[in-house]
Amino acid sequence: MYHSTKAVSQKSSHFRLAETDKEEKGTNFFFDRGDTSSEGRGRTTHHKLLYPREDCCEFSRRRLTSMAAWDLSVTVEDLGSDAPPVTISVASDLHVGGVIVKLVEKTQIKRDWSDHALWWEQKQRWLLRTAWTLEKYGIHADARLLFMPQHKPLKLGLPNGKTVWLRACFSNPVFQTVMGICRMLNIRHPEELSLLRPVEEKKKKKDKDLAEEIYDLTEVPLSSVSRPCLYNGMPAHFADSEQMEAVYKMLSVTQPPPAPEVIAKQYRPASVVDKAHINGRWLDSSRCLKQQGIQENDRLWLRFKYYAFYDMDPKYDAVRLTQLYEQARWAILLEDVDCTEEEMMLFGALQYHINKVSLSEPQMPSSSAALDDLESALQSLEVKMEGYGNSASDLLENMTAPELNDYLKIFRPKRLTLKGYKQYWFKFQDTSISYFKSKEESIGEPIQQINLKGCEVAPDVNVAAQKFLIRLLIPAPEGMNEVYLRCENEQQYAQWMAGCRLASKGKSLADSSFQSEIQSIRSFLAMQKTNSGSSNNAAASDESINTHSLVSPRYHKKYKPKQLTPRILDAYQNIAQLSLTDALMRFLQIWQALPDFGHSYVVVRFKGSRKDEVLGIAPNRLIRIDLGVGDVVKTWRYNNMKQWNVNWDIKQMAIEFEGNVNIAFGCVTADCKIVHEFIGGYIFMSTRSREKSDTLNEELFHKLTGGHEAL
Amino acid sequence: MMTDLCHREGGLFFSSELRKNTVHARNAVTGLDLNFRIKQEETVREPKCNPQQHTQVCLHVAVIFGLLGFFLKRAIFQGATHVHVAFILKLTGESRIITFVKMDDIDAMFSDLLGEMDLLTQSLGEEVVPPKPLPSTEQDINFSIGFTGLNASINELEDNDLDALMADLVADLNATEEKIAAEIQGLHVPPSSSSDLPPPPKGLSVQPSYSITSSSSSGNNNTNSSSSVTTPSSSTTSTLPPTQSAKPTMEEIEAQMKADKIKLALEKLKEAKVKKLVVKVLMNDGSSKTLMVDERQTVREVLENLFEKTHCDCNVDWSLCETNHELQLERTFEDHENLVEPLLAWTRDSENKVLFQERKDKFEIFKNPQNFYLWKKDKKSLKDMKDKDKELLVEENFCGTSIIVPDLEGVLFLKEDGKKSWKQRLFQLRASGIYYVPKGKTKSSRDLVCFVQFNNVNVYYGKDVKNRYKAPTDFCFVLKHPQIQKESQYIKYLCCDDAWTMNLWVTGIRIAKYGASLYENYQTAGRKAAVSAAVWTNRSTPSSSSASTPSPTIKAKTQTQANGYAPKSQAGPPNQGIGNLPPPPPPLNEILPPPPPDPVFPPPPPLLSSKPLPQRQQPSNFPPPPLSMDSLPPPPPPLPPMDTSSEDPPDFLPPPPAPAGFSSLPPPPPPAPAATFYGNANRSLPPPPPDPEFLPPPPPDPVILAPGAPPPPPPPPAPIAPPQAAAQPRKMGPAPPKRTTPLLQGGGGGGGGDFMSELMSAMKKRTDH
Repeated sequence: MYHSTKAVSQKSSHFRLAETDKEEKGTNFFFDRGDTSSEGRGRTTHHKLLYPREDCCEFSRRRLTSMAAWDLSVTVEDLGSDAPPVTISVASDLHVGGVIVKLVEKTQIKRDWSDHALWWEQKQRWLLRTAWTLEKYGIHADARLLFMPQHKPLKLGLPNGKTVWLRACFSNPVFQTVMGICRMLNIRHPEELSLLRPVEEKKKKKDKDLAEEIYDLTEVPLSSVSRPCLYNGMPAHFADSEQMEAVYKMLSVTQPPPAPEVIAKQYRPASVVDKAHINGRWLDSSRCLKQQGIQENDRLWLRFKYYAFYDMDPKYDAVRLTQLYEQARWAILLEDVDCTEEEMMLFGALQYHINKVSLSEPQMPSSSAALDDLESALQSLEVKMEGYGNSASDLLENMTAPELNDYLKIFRPKRLTLKGYKQYWFKFQDTSISYFKSKEESIGEPIQQINLKGCEVAPDVNVAAQKFLIRLLIPAPEGMNEVYLRCENEQQYAQWMAGCRLASKGKSLADSSFQSEIQSIRSFLAMQKTNSGSSNNAAASDESINTHSLVSPRYHKKYKPKQLTPRILDAYQNIAQLSLTDALMRFLQIWQALPDFGHSYVVVRFKGSRKDEVLGIAPNRLIRIDLGVGDVVKTWRYNNMKQWNVNWDIKQMAIEFEGNVNIAFGCVTADCKIVHEFIGGYIFMSTRSREKSDTLNEELFHKLTGGHEAL
Repeated sequence: MMTDLCHREGGLFFSSELRKNTVHARNAVTGLDLNFRIKQEETVREPKCNPQQHTQVCLHVAVIFGLLGFFLKRAIFQGATHVHVAFILKLTGESRIITFVKMDDIDAMFSDLLGEMDLLTQSLGEEVVPPKPLPSTEQDINFSIGFTGLNASINELEDNDLDALMADLVADLNATEEKIAAEIQGLHVPPSSSSDLPPPPKGLSVQPSYSITSSSSSGNNNTNSSSSVTTPSSSTTSTLPPTQSAKPTMEEIEAQMKADKIKLALEKLKEAKVKKLVVKVLMNDGSSKTLMVDERQTVREVLENLFEKTHCDCNVDWSLCETNHELQLERTFEDHENLVEPLLAWTRDSENKVLFQERKDKFEIFKNPQNFYLWKKDKKSLKDMKDKDKELLVEENFCGTSIIVPDLEGVLFLKEDGKKSWKQRLFQLRASGIYYVPKGKTKSSRDLVCFVQFNNVNVYYGKDVKNRYKAPTDFCFVLKHPQIQKESQYIKYLCCDDAWTMNLWVTGIRIAKYGASLYENYQTAGRKAAVSAAVWTNRSTPSSSSASTPSPTIKAKTQTQANGYAPKSQAGPPNQGIGNLPPPPPPLNEILPPPPPDPVFPPPPPLLSSKPLPQRQQPSNFPPPPLSMDSLPPPPPPLPPMDTSSEDPPDFLPPPPAPAGFSSLPPPPPPAPAATFYGNANRSLPPPPPDPEFLPPPPPDPVILAPGAPPPPPPPPAPIAPPQAAAQPRKMGPAPPKRTTPLLQGGGGGGGGDFMSELMSAMKKRTDH
């Protein structure tokens, strides 16, 4: 069996992770293509090794043959698609640069040609080395050459669902193209992202697509992008005009929750196999767009591909963070990553909060960037101090802590009385509630005093029915005591609820968050009102959101919006105090803590097995999953990996782990280059933390992910 | 002037020579009044010094004057008080700020500003006013577990507990003294901190400080006299320097100061509410140590404290555990938790305990992460895992943006809702909580039902569940709200098939609940362990090296004691006492008594007499005693006997002198004598230091009290009273009437005196040199 692999292994590439290297530095993954030098048969060979030989041949041939001139016809794209090819007279020893000069002279068009290059149609390759002669490239009179710009516009779908129209490089490997795009969009660590072909959309949506807003970035001069200087916290090219600033805002500010219908309409992978199919769409990082059949103005998606997010710093990563959040949010909403109901509610609450906060502080990215400025930082500190000062002296001078006083009804189910709710005069002070028979008696000893610290607070509200209950579970040595407080109206409820919430966390009413807590409770109540009150409340404030836009469609069926509201509110109380950045980070953290986070699936067939199985590729391991049951059968960690081989012909990968563990599988739903790239890519990602330098080790990436055609 | 200075809710005033300057500065708005107060006892001292001097200087002066006496007193009477000093800073006329300073800080301050102190002490006088309890502090009154009040707690504390406590309290003080001593030694050149103040002529400085001490001691009784005494002496020396230095700075940074103060005030305000507990910690060997823990202290800090007391090896496994007797539960506190909070949840009559133990499971997750994260793999390959890979695993799961919880899933037995039956369920651990798979559903995430989230529950090990609840196995972990202390339907019991599974779950839950804090704890603990390991190996002598755990040390000590005082160490309770006391003896044997704090404690009482010895190590330096005698008539009498007695012990235990410059060493012997004298009157036998175990507190009391304060409050044992009474007559009559709480006062004053005398002696030495 192994022999058969050996036989074809001439055409396979061989990736070895030398033990010693890995141990020492972890950076130099020894990489060895065993077959490259064997024979120069086309695809499997390595260019560097091959060309010197051609050089020799060409050199000798040049000496022998006289340089006869011949006609070369080149289609110049800028003349229009109907224009006939331009024919120039060349000799085989003319280098490509010379061809281009002749060509430009012939067209008699004056413009900047610097971005243009020749594309060889038959061979599907760019002639980028202008010093090479035609002969060296092997170009003869029958070659169909195209002269066109290397950068062409592309419609790029971003993780947030928006589309930008920008010029991307069609001639460099996709890896570099992505780097260029990310530089333009101001996203750090472009190695984590890649491009993929979008999922075909259904025809009926076409009309809507036409109306879709496209953010135009094609005018951005390519040169300016190469050196991003920050202006107001954003790259200079975004500061040119209001339009551009709007684009940057779109990039760096989170989008409002999508309408439930939009979520419902989106393609949702229904099974692991569906998810696996999506991974078949990734472009090959080591080849250029043109080679992969991408045309000008085609639509591609830009997505985070490797779920290993390195050095996330909200200060510098406004766009990156926002886009990552958007990708995560959609992954949750579309159930790309499974989560439990509780987790979904928390995600919903976070989305709600993020949206709310981003509305109230829309300038967050730039202002946080401005904090770089020492002066402003100092200023803000001063302001804070001032604030403290006030509160301090306030506190010192009048030690009267805020309190709440009101008639409320209380019910203690524990007592097994049928009396139900009984009215008392309640006093909320510090973190305790005390109640008295009446207001008049409130000077004396309370009937009871309840300290709410550490208790659980849950709402039981029905606005339509005017039911405002606060359910308290109060810990005591003997267990938890259940207490219900009944409020008369919204106003009262919001205040007391807010008080209870803070007290449960050990904060008093004097806490600065008290008012905002009241606000958020009221806005949730408002949500319930609009949801239940059909459309007559259409003019509801923009704070009210359909809770269905915060959760995946599954819950649209399971719960009505008004049922969802209290549950989301429940989760919301734990995160209501977070700043925008913290909330974004929290969202990402919870997302990353999901068991299925970061698994990219591919359907494979293991050698010796008769059925298809799923291979999950995670940031640190490979997971073999039974397709039928969905159970994890086995996992292998990358850091136990010794080497892996790719056999391009039979699309099989063979991996050897420490302890003589060998696995081999053929890839079914994705090209094995994609799988290979995933594995190599993750290994590359793991080397980053150990490498001190900021520069991206592109060469290593290609070493680890490149295939036989790697340039 | 005087009236102006000395009024205030009653307190000790320190008026300085610089009063003119003070006035001046006050008018200039930023004058600082310093209120130095001992919270518990409500002793209030208000040293006033030149406002132009840096605030810190003021603090230090105040501290120096007040601390000693205070601590001694406190230690004696209030086994259960806090290691806490309060300062009130007053902006002239305006807002008022309360500050509490922990001992450690004071400690630091001492050493910092010793140079200035030199000067200041000379220039400061003091006045004594009876302290009044401050209403605001009343709520804070002593909090002790299982006891109703301060007095009760004191009464209930066993002798040795008291002992330990006292040791605790005085520990810092002693440390400070050591430092001071050390510093004084090195004082040939004035410390840098004092740079702005021209170094006082050394010869002079000694003298003035001298006078101060005497005045302070007398001041306890008579304010006026004391102030008058001080004024002249100090004026000569130090009037000038402060003025020079302070004036310009003041105006420049006036605004700055204000801001700082406000900020400080806020912080301190918070601190003012701090609760403190007296906690009895059980050691491995059944002995116990009693500590004071304040609300803000983390378990880690308490552990460090215990390390110092026990001289254990400080390895990362040392933990504090909580046991719940009623529920038969047990859990290890995490290092970052605050200790006080969970203890407050205990019921008054609970038999819960805090244990100091090595717990392998505490950080096992970082030592062998593969056992948790790769538990599904075969055991053999896990065993052989390389360290490199382990590190990687930890890094992967704890150093990313998000903490990864081990992938845990399995069938467990569940008992909940107060039901008696156990039912099986398939549980899954996720970062967000524990879930189970409902009957007939798949394991997919969306079908999972949430069983519990971790916000409000802690995880415990259950003991003896098989018997108690008819559990299928004895490997049970429990989830409950920390406040629940008794049987309740809200407690969830989960049984695993084997101990390892249980360990997996408990650790997994801890990771989910505490996340990154766990790893930080581990790193902190690791650092400490590494340091102490290094120190340990260096220091270890045969005897100490064996003492990797507290118990060994104790044994060593008991042995040493056995030589001198076999009978006592054998008593049951004494055991604990031994734990505390022993420290002193071992040092004797060892070359270097590493943990000065402990051993130091005993000494404090004898301080007056004995201190000089240790500090300079030169018996010849004894001169100081006489000085103090002058100022403090009562003390002197004790002194002679003490000296003799203290000398006796040396015979038995080749003590202090040679071993180290440690004041800690020498002290031990002296204390004994003191104890025997006063406190031990009732106790049968005399000399041996062991006495302090029994009644350590007493000795100090008498000494201090004698000078100033007559009626020792409840705590002090009866025997003490007589000596005091005797002392009183000698001392001034007037003072007593003034004081509402004479004890404290006396303590403070006396303490100040003690301290000063020592200081002086130290200085003397310096000058001698």
